[in-house]
Amino acid sequence: MNAAEDPYALLGVPRTASAEEIKKAYRKLARKLHPDLNPGDKAAEERFKKVSAAHDLLSDPEKRARFDRGEIDASGQEVPRHSSWRAHAGGPEDIYASDSAFADIADADDLLAAIFGAGARGRARGTVRMRGGDLRARLHLDFLSAVNGTTARLDLPDGSAVDVKVPAGAHDGQVLRLKGKGAPGIGGGPPGDLYVELEVGGHHRFTRKGDDIHLELPVSLVEAVLGGKVEVPTPAGPVMVTVPPHSNTGTVLRLRGRGVPRPDGTRGDAFAELRVFLPEEPDPELESFLRGWAKGRAHDPRKGRG
Amino acid sequence: MTAQFELVLRLGIAEETLSAWCAAGWLRPPEDWDEADAARALLIRDLIERLGVNEEGVDVALSLLDQLHGLRRALRRLSDALGSLPEPLRSGLREAMARAGADDAP
Repeated sequence: MNAAEDPYALLGVPRTASAEEIKKAYRKLARKLHPDLNPGDKAAEERFKKVSAAHDLLSDPEKRARFDRGEIDASGQEVPRHSSWRAHAGGPEDIYASDSAFADIADADDLLAAIFGAGARGRARGTVRMRGGDLRARLHLDFLSAVNGTTARLDLPDGSAVDVKVPAGAHDGQVLRLKGKGAPGIGGGPPGDLYVELEVGGHHRFTRKGDDIHLELPVSLVEAVLGGKVEVPTPAGPVMVTVPPHSNTGTVLRLRGRGVPRPDGTRGDAFAELRVFLPEEPDPELESFLRGWAKGRAHDPRKGRG
Repeated sequence: MTAQFELVLRLGIAEETLSAWCAAGWLRPPEDWDEADAARALLIRDLIERLGVNEEGVDVALSLLDQLHGLRRALRRLSDALGSLPEPLRSGLREAMARAGADDAP
């Protein structure tokens, strides 16, 4: 018997190896050599057979003892195997084979999509052809991403990820439907859809009411009394707005078309509610003016409020 | 004799085990079984009993194998189609592939 056929050498274990060591060595080799795990390697079958025969001989204590005593040799141990899965797999009739390993590549190319899309459906056995199930997922967005629109990556429970195109003006609780991004179909059936529910966070300055944006706009005493141009933040960026003279806290400036984008391309409005702020530090000049301001001292803003 | 019972005898496994494999989506329902399904069941048995792969491992292995065979089928069909093309198209493709290969080289 040549060395290559020696069952111990085939498994790579010493002649003193324990039953457990033999089993471990065999499993390790079998995981590499199993013909069904090496569909493109014609020689794998032969190597696997030899290793399996070696294992069958050495895992049987009685046979192993007889072999060690030289009473039998390693031949005749090969057990005929049933047909391999790899002989059937990937044929036109294989309903288990999946196109998902290259669906992205085929989708990205019209020619490949035409070749594999049409061909795969045409050849499917057709007995089991089911649309894949719909999936649901939640996507958290910050306030401005939802208002201005964005593309967000969504991780799915199965470990894959999908890019979700969020249209401008998306709102909290809105459900987006991603056609064909659900569970894959069975037997060439179309995939299901993915429904993504949006969770939109709040903003430290903006409040949203429908398509309108509301915000508080601090103005100085001078701007409130004399009027002036001030910069107002809006979701699409700051804009310059004229504060009319004699504007009070509570005065609301309407910024037409500076709100949330609508599907038809128009936008809601932004509303800036003024809040008058005194200077940070007490001001002697202001105080002395107010002490001498008779009309101002006579003004009672609580009058008539009950 | 039902396909299920026949397979149970051939593989030497319990009927419940076979049902569990179907429930896991590893095999289609027994009504449709043919020789290919028997070979697939044999692979599952090998994975578990001979290769020491656990249930999760079988799931992963089968999913990857099914993708691999989908790819092999696509490649085979592409190869068949290419084989039926006239020579000017074939040589054009060879050149395009050589260029694509050169682009990939570091």
